[in-house]
Parts: sequence; C-alpha cells; structure tokens
Amino acid sequence: MAKAIGIDLGTTFSEVAVMQGGEPVVIPSSEGGNTVPSFVAISKSGERLVGQIAKRQAIINPENTIYSIKRFMGRKWGEPAGRELPIEEDAKRKTYKVVKGPNNEVKVAMGGQEYTPPEISAMILQKLKADAEAYLGEKVTDAVITVPAYFNDAQRQATKDAGKIAGLNVLRIINEPTAASLAYGLDKKKDETIAVYDLGGGTFDVSILEIGDGTFQVKSTNGDTHLGGDDFDQRIMDWLIEEFKKDQGIDLSGDKTALQRLKEAAEKVKIELSSVQKAEVNLPFITADSSGPKHLNITLTRAKLEQLVMDLVEKTMEPCKQALADADRKASQIDEVVLVGGQTRMPLVQEKVKQFFGKEPNKGVNPDEVVAIGAAIQAGVLKGEVKDVLLLDVTPLTLGIETLGGVATPLINRNTTIPTSKTQVFSTAADNQPSVEIHVLQGERPMAADNRTLGRFILDGILPAPRGVPQVEVSFDIDANGILSVKAKDKGTGKEQKITITASSGLSKEDIEKMQHEAEAHAAEDTKRKEEVETKNNADNMAYSAEKMLNDNKDKIPEETRKEIEDKIGVLRTALQGSDVEDIKAKSQELSELMQKAGASVYGQQGGQAEPDAQSEQTEEEPKKDDEGTVEGEFREV
Amino acid sequence: MKKEKWPEDSEDKELKRKQKEPEDSADTGKAQPEEKSEAEKYLDNWRRTQADFVNYKKRTEQEKEETVKFGNSMLLLALLPILDDLQRALDSVPEDLKDLPWVEGIRLIERKFSSSLETQGVKLIKTEGEAFDPNVHEAALHVDGDDGMIVEELQKGYKLYDRVIRPAVVAVGNGNK
Repeated sequence: MAKAIGIDLGTTFSEVAVMQGGEPVVIPSSEGGNTVPSFVAISKSGERLVGQIAKRQAIINPENTIYSIKRFMGRKWGEPAGRELPIEEDAKRKTYKVVKGPNNEVKVAMGGQEYTPPEISAMILQKLKADAEAYLGEKVTDAVITVPAYFNDAQRQATKDAGKIAGLNVLRIINEPTAASLAYGLDKKKDETIAVYDLGGGTFDVSILEIGDGTFQVKSTNGDTHLGGDDFDQRIMDWLIEEFKKDQGIDLSGDKTALQRLKEAAEKVKIELSSVQKAEVNLPFITADSSGPKHLNITLTRAKLEQLVMDLVEKTMEPCKQALADADRKASQIDEVVLVGGQTRMPLVQEKVKQFFGKEPNKGVNPDEVVAIGAAIQAGVLKGEVKDVLLLDVTPLTLGIETLGGVATPLINRNTTIPTSKTQVFSTAADNQPSVEIHVLQGERPMAADNRTLGRFILDGILPAPRGVPQVEVSFDIDANGILSVKAKDKGTGKEQKITITASSGLSKEDIEKMQHEAEAHAAEDTKRKEEVETKNNADNMAYSAEKMLNDNKDKIPEETRKEIEDKIGVLRTALQGSDVEDIKAKSQELSELMQKAGASVYGQQGGQAEPDAQSEQTEEEPKKDDEGTVEGEFREV
Repeated sequence: MKKEKWPEDSEDKELKRKQKEPEDSADTGKAQPEEKSEAEKYLDNWRRTQADFVNYKKRTEQEKEETVKFGNSMLLLALLPILDDLQRALDSVPEDLKDLPWVEGIRLIERKFSSSLETQGVKLIKTEGEAFDPNVHEAALHVDGDDGMIVEELQKGYKLYDRVIRPAVVAVGNGNK
C-alpha cells in the first residue's frame, strides 16, 4: 500500500519522513544528508537545480537562485505584513527579483521567467517526493505538509497549491508546533497546555497550544523572524576575529578564505561546547604576512560562549512572555514544553527555557527532525495504516529455566514481541542422571531462587550416559494471547513432556516494575553470586575430567604425577565445600596446570595413544633444550 | 500588541487516532459470508505484513551495504581538515628551509596520508582548469576570470567512491578579465 509522507517545508531547510513498521523515519536525500536546503535555481545553461546543488552555485548566480521563498507564500504586494516584513522590505534583501503580478500577487524572476511562490516551493517538494520514492522503492502521492502556526488562510492555501503542483495529494496542512507535539505523543494528553519553543537556524517561533480530546488548538504565537542559530555563529566569529586582532594585529574580516574557515570553526566549536566545558579553535596557517604564516589557536570556554550570546537568548524570552499573555495563561499553567530547532541543543537555551516555564522540556527527539517526524505520524494516522488493527504485545519479563548451580538461564528475553518461540539444547549434570527437572522461571535475577516460579515438570527415561552427553531440547512458545508452553524432548529417546502456563503475566504493572527495580538494585551482588556458581561449576567439571583422564590413561601416567593429581583433586573438592571463590579459582588453576603437564608427558612418550580430553587445553610443546649451544646474539671476534 | 485572529483550525479539529472497530456480536448460525470476509481481511493483512517484512529486510540489507561502504564518511570528514592543514604547512615552507631533509620527511608524510585515503576509496575532485560544476564544486567567490571556469581552489574537495563527501570550495570566473 502506498505510504503517505510527512514534509517539513522550511524557510532554509526542508525534510521528509515516513512511518515504517510503526516508527517514524527521516528519509535521506539523494545527496546523503537528512535535510535539503530550500534553494531552487536555473543555471546559466538553463538547467534546473534544487537543494544542495542549487545552494552551491548561489554566489555565482545570485539573480537566478531563489531561497527563503517561504517568506512570500500566500502574500500580496501592499497587504499588511502580519508576522513577516512588508514585501518591499523583504524583496530588497533578496538577490533575486521580486515582481508584482497583475493582481498584486508576488512573483519571482528566475532564468528569464516569472514564477509564483507555490511554483517554486513545488520544485522543492518534487525533489523531496523523488527522494522518498527512491528510498521506499514505490510511488508516493499522499503527503502531510507543515506550516507555521501563524500562517493565514492564503498562506496555507498557497502551501496546498504547491503540493498539488508537485503532484502530491495533500492530506492535510498541519501546524509546525502541532507536529512537534505529535512527535512526543502529546496528542494523548487531555486538557493540557503546551508551549513549543522553536529556535532554528534563522527564525524563532514560540506557540502556546491546548490539547483536548485528541485535537490541538493554537492559543497564541509570537517570535522573531530574524533570530536564530546563525546569529549565534556570527557572535563567535566576531569574537575570534577580535581576539586574533588583539593577539596578532591582523584583521581577518577581509579575507574570504579565512572567513570560510572561521565560519565552519565557529559552528563546530559551538556544537562541541554543548557537551564539554571548553574547546579549542585550532586553525593553522589561517593567514600570512611579511613575517611568515600565522596560526589561530584560541580556547573558548562554555562560560565565555554564554556571555557572548546571552543577549540573544534573552531576546527570545520577550516573545514567550507575550505569547503567554495573548493566550491568557501564566507560565505555571504550562503542562508541557517542547523544544524544536538545532539551536535548542545549547545548554544555556535549555536552562533559560526551563527557568521561564518552570518545567523540564521534552527533548528526546532530534530537534532538527521533530517537525518532519510529527508530520509523518499524522500522515500515518490519516492513511489509516492497516496494521493499526493488530496491536502486538511484548513479554514484560525474561523467561527461562533453572540450570546447574541454581542459575537462571534465559530463553526469551523481556520486551520480546510476541507471539514468539525459542529452543535451546541442554544436558544432564551428573553421570547416569535418569531425569531432568524443568523449572520454568520468570524474572530478571541471575539466580533461580530470586525469580518467580511459573511451573515445574520432569522429563524422565533418560538413558544412562556420562554427564553432558544426553541432549534435551527445551522449547518455549508464547502465543498471541500470552500463553506460554514449555516442552522438553530427549533427542535420543524421543520422549517428551510439556506444560502450559496461562498466567505467565498475571502480574500487575507495579509488580513488573518492582521486579525490574530489584534486579537493578541487586545487580552487583547477583553478578558476584553468579560468578561464584560458575567458578564452582567449572571447578567441579575440572575435577571430574581430571579423574576421567587418570582413569583412561592409567598406565601412561607416572605414579608420582598420578599421586600429585589425585591430591590436587582432593584439595579442590574440599575447597568446593566452602565458598571462597578466589581459593577455588586458584586451586582449579593449579589442577589444570598439573593435568597439562601430565598430558604433555603422555604425548612425550613415543606414539602415545592419549585420548584427547575435552577439558584440558593443549599448550605449545616446550622446545627441546639441546646442549648444542646455539648462542644467540653474541658477536664473535674474527 | 494587537491580538491576532487565528484561522479556523477546522482541519486540526479532526486530529484523532483511528478508533478500534467495535466488535459485532456474532450471530451463531448466520454469519457465513461475514466470517468469510473477516477471514479474507485477516489473510490480506497477513499478506501485507509479510510483504512489509520482506521489503523491510530488503531495505535493511541495502542499508547495511551502504553503511559498510560509506560508514567511514563521518570519520573521513573529521580527518580531512587535518590533511588540509598539513598541505597548508607544506605550501608555505620558507625558502631557506625548502630543501631540508626534515621538510622532505614531512612531504613524505603528506603523501602517505593522501595515498592511504586513496586506498580507502577517497578521490580528489578536480578543480584547476575545470568548468564549475555544482555537483562537485561549491562557489565561494565570483571573481575576474573566464566565465564559469574555476579560477582558484580555496579548499580541496573529495569523493568517497561515487559520493561527494566534501565539495571543493572554489573561486569562479565572472567573465571579466
């Protein structure tokens, strides 16, 4: 079934996302990144360029490269401006010609032709559509497109028109702050007030929304259409130029190449300082004068950065205050705060927002992608994804059985989607063991006794055999209703037993959480205990194999070695009675070494028929020490 | 400040999650066609889910291949500026030091760095004497020179296999001499 995509059509960047397997996923562009610059151009040769490619040639083709077209969508010359600057003002700031149509509509000139803003936006949408189709491997027609909450009817219609021109069936136009709230699942809240703080690359928007009964209502919006992350970068650049001037007496602001490096370095250090307290700006050979090359090497601390941009962040507070007033709310009445836009990653911004609204903001979703993701979620809902009817459960706690030493061995891990099944082969713990007990456990603790018993049963009729030889296949199967069946089958005799447990999740949510917490709280001591059991098991195995080896190689092992090993086995068995893990480990090691020596000596005898013992590891043979005197490294005087 | 009027958010009012369909009370004895269509619906959903799963697997395989092939791009992007700096250093060796064996050693290091990258699939993007191509070049300056031709390279650009990981930053001619 054709998928519906969610599109964030931004002033400087656009993005597209889609629901996949119930999760929203951002679709990468054909150039490799997740965002597409909102640029369209006609090259000198008449070729149409969209996105990153268009941006790259903007400087050499300024008149035919259209950017920030969003500012002109749905607007007419001579109309009151609303949030944006008057057309005359905005047009002056652009490198391309903005012209007037017969009905005062806004048009732009590109490549000798005139286009309406929706026609330009359609070109960007077309590229996003093509990238989505390439990624999904199928045609895409339906889409949800986002717009700023302050867009009026004409602006929304223009966006819808753009979609139509691009060959998209626009299922809905939704507000950007609404999309952001959807991305955080806030549509499930009842009668709550949400503040969305959107600080992007070039614009700042704050919106107050109310959610009730599954619908969002915009109470107020405010912002600053020319305030964003780029201004923060500029502050850092200015400071670097200043410092360099002070330090080296050279003004870099006229050096285009240096400026390019400074811009990249400023953005990089800004990002670094979001996670560390200080960072180095290291630009060797930034310029040169008569005395030789010059290097820029300055350390910027987070504190200094915050000083440099403090006024910019404070500037965002006034619109927040105004938005609250217009919504007739107090900061304390805000239930949820959502952060949008890359610049909100800065700790200072998060701090100020938290202080202002008195709430920890929602920030788990990538702030650059949250609007596209919300649009994709809405697209999925509108499309009525068929799989909605089939809700899958997960098993909340790990299921397993008890094995040697009272250890809980997991078969199905917690949070596994059901229905599911898992099979594993186990064996006996003692020679000639005639039956195995399957003790079915539920819980996260490594020791069986600390988990919940779901059931027990016995499979008998196991033929006499050394321990570890019989193969008992244990299968766990959970059906869609959460009913667990456990089956044990002796692969040798074909005999099987099984048990069905209906109440594998007869636990309440609190019980489940309690068990998980206990597992975490006891994690350290549990690990220790499990290690103890494993050490004991290993030691026990070692003693057993040592005895077996002695038995199988009666005649080949010299008497004294034999005595030594028997003693060691005895010592180890005694240690096993106690619980000094270090002691057991040490004694196991000693026994192991003895066994290796014995094994080596058996092989040392001509054509020894020593049976390979699975437990002992073969060391490399000791090189035979001749007395023929290969002297190493000595120079002989000739 | 004037209170702005909000457009009718009539579309937002319909923002609802799809409701679960109410279950029909089964009428025993009747229902043959109903059950049949239910069964068909389930089979159809199962087929779709299978198909989705198969498609997802295909896409995951493809993404894995891409990750293996291009997974290094982030690392390379972080290392390229260092190569830039090393090349800058060599470009500005003082006259009187140019022939020092020590300087020659640094040149060898730069060559080693470059050829290691080449072995990893990194290719230098041609600039000198080329026509400007926005697919591989980024124009930072518009200066006197042949129209549309690259006049100067400001920063080297690189491809990883056939994908541009960093465009070459160049000065392009504007047709004036």
